[in-house]
Amino acid sequence: MLQALELTRTFGDHTALQGLNLRVERGDIYCLLGANGAGKTTTINLFLNFVRPTSGSARVNGIDVVEQPLETKRHLAYIPEHVMLYGNLTGLENLRYFARLGGHNEYSAADLQGFLDRVGLQRDAASQRVRTYSKGMRQKVGVAIALAKRAGALLLDEPTSGLDPKASNEFSELLLQLKAEGAAILMATHDLFRAKETGTRIGIMKQGRLVQELSTDEVSHADLERIYLEHMH
Amino acid sequence: MIGTIARKEFIEIVRDGRFRWVAAIVVLLLLTALLAGQQRYAAYTATQQAAQGTSNAQWLGQGDKNPHSAAHYGNYAFKPLGPLGFFDGGIVAYAGTTIFMEAHKQNFAIARPAADTSAIARFGELSGASILQLLLPLLVILLGFTAFAGERESGTLRQVLSMGTAPSRLLWGKALGLAAAVLVVVLPCLLIGALLLATTGLQTVGGGLGTRVALLALAYGLYGAIFLFLTLAVSARASSPRTALMVLVGFWAFSAFLMPKIAGEISKVAHPSPAYGTFMTQMREHQRRGFDGVSANAKLGRYQAEMYRKYGVDRVEDLPFYWTAVRMQKLEELDQPVFDQHYDAVRDAYAAQERVQNRLGVLAPTLALRSVSTGLAGTSLLEHAKFQDDAETFREEMVAKMNGYLAQAATDLNGVNSATNYMIANADVFAMVPPYRYEPPSLAASIAAQVPNLVLLAVWSLVALGFAWFAVVKLQPEARR
Repeated sequence: MLQALELTRTFGDHTALQGLNLRVERGDIYCLLGANGAGKTTTINLFLNFVRPTSGSARVNGIDVVEQPLETKRHLAYIPEHVMLYGNLTGLENLRYFARLGGHNEYSAADLQGFLDRVGLQRDAASQRVRTYSKGMRQKVGVAIALAKRAGALLLDEPTSGLDPKASNEFSELLLQLKAEGAAILMATHDLFRAKETGTRIGIMKQGRLVQELSTDEVSHADLERIYLEHMH
Repeated sequence: MIGTIARKEFIEIVRDGRFRWVAAIVVLLLLTALLAGQQRYAAYTATQQAAQGTSNAQWLGQGDKNPHSAAHYGNYAFKPLGPLGFFDGGIVAYAGTTIFMEAHKQNFAIARPAADTSAIARFGELSGASILQLLLPLLVILLGFTAFAGERESGTLRQVLSMGTAPSRLLWGKALGLAAAVLVVVLPCLLIGALLLATTGLQTVGGGLGTRVALLALAYGLYGAIFLFLTLAVSARASSPRTALMVLVGFWAFSAFLMPKIAGEISKVAHPSPAYGTFMTQMREHQRRGFDGVSANAKLGRYQAEMYRKYGVDRVEDLPFYWTAVRMQKLEELDQPVFDQHYDAVRDAYAAQERVQNRLGVLAPTLALRSVSTGLAGTSLLEHAKFQDDAETFREEMVAKMNGYLAQAATDLNGVNSATNYMIANADVFAMVPPYRYEPPSLAASIAAQVPNLVLLAVWSLVALGFAWFAVVKLQPEARR
């Protein structure tokens, strides 16, 4: 579903990403680990065509994202570290707007409320302006937007950073449901624990390179932490 | 999709705190200007009609006197203005509204409303047109400069672009949403203004009120579209909302504030028009010298000799007409080319100045709109020139009729033709001169004069649209570094 082929991006002298090869199939939750600046966000930006590859290609459903950026984005849902919404619109209005931008005009108010319920946003918050929302509430709307898009692939850029443990846990539950429904999920994260718990595969990145790939059922928490730290030194 | 984006854009704009105070200021100024226009319209029209009636009555009731003296007594022409003249006063306040028509002299229009106002009038007349020309673009800019730059700064643009929305749809959606927010402020004011004018009376000057209003709406619509697309273009390109605002307000100040003042000065340098005193001195001098360097007196002498030969006489008393009247009419005809040449030169200079100002519309769309607006409102140079022409035609006919009547009627007064025959005429004779009537240029002439400016506005809006299109196709979620 998501595929990187020798994907490389340089900014001047700096190589943000070097020859990345990666596949995320349906039912996969692929966790990208690595320090800040390792190339995780660059990888996601390349899939979104927000950044052009210097060489190599990123593909969604086998389609090159540079050649058909609008078509490939129809199959993608994106949740950034900070979900940014329109402060003067309510949560429900934000969701409706983004759902329609994603081509889903068919949702009734009840359908939209259903998405917000599913991500655990309090009922009374849905009709309040987003300006009054906490970070956690905004993230929930972001997830609802991703759900409403019914995309085959999800790109998540540290989606749970800054969330409280309960919200973080609820988010993991949601990812497992999406995985069961056949979504391909690529998630950049710093959370080794959640990566091991919810992920199916893990990729460790360092200075723009994918230095190791492993399956989560092959390693224990302790092993994962040890391997990760070895690479970081 | 475009409707969805437009609706969201509209809701966001009107919910923003900015909207309330910007809208309040625009509504206040626009309504004040339109109300003031209606007041001026009512007062002006009443005064103009009463004054013209009085002048016509005074002409007939001036008392029995010699017809040539009656021509000296003269008559006044008061310029009628239609309701659109109070939406856009054009040059009326500066060009004069009244012309004194008398024997021997062609006069400029007098009674300039601008001369009766305080120093504040230097900032321009408070009219619907001037407020719209100044504030419509500012309203568009203040409500629209964040359209893309604000979304980029707040991060929502990333979210939007990740949805796979075609940039062209974003552009049209935002354009429609912004246009709707602007129209919500402006349209009700214009409707109120139009209703007020309608209750005051809608006699048009020049005809085609409906067509004029439709074309005015088109021109102001194009003007708004120019600034709307420029705003979206700059907002899409700018690194921050602040930069976008600075660039846009800079262009607004240039086009809507600075250029309308500077263009007049530039055009005067390019095509100087003489000062009143200089003009009069030169014309009198030319008149004294004679049109082609032979003085009027010399020519009159020759004419007299010619008449003597023609009728085989050697005394004016023996001519078959009253020589004094024929001589005065001949003098009028000898002076006429001098008047024409000097007045035409001034008119040509004004026309050339207007052409320079219109050409500067290439740099500042406000100049093109200003011309279209005054042209369609019937308050441009075209109408003023016609007003002067009509007054001059009236004057020539009035003088010719009075002199002509005198030439015949005084011939055998007292049973003899005498060089000193002095006759008295009454109202019946003065009634040979029909009341003054101003025939304004036709609708077709008004439109024809404004075609280049309308084309310029259309080209400007296409260029702005192209600029916006280009900027939006290259839209990036992050500011360029």
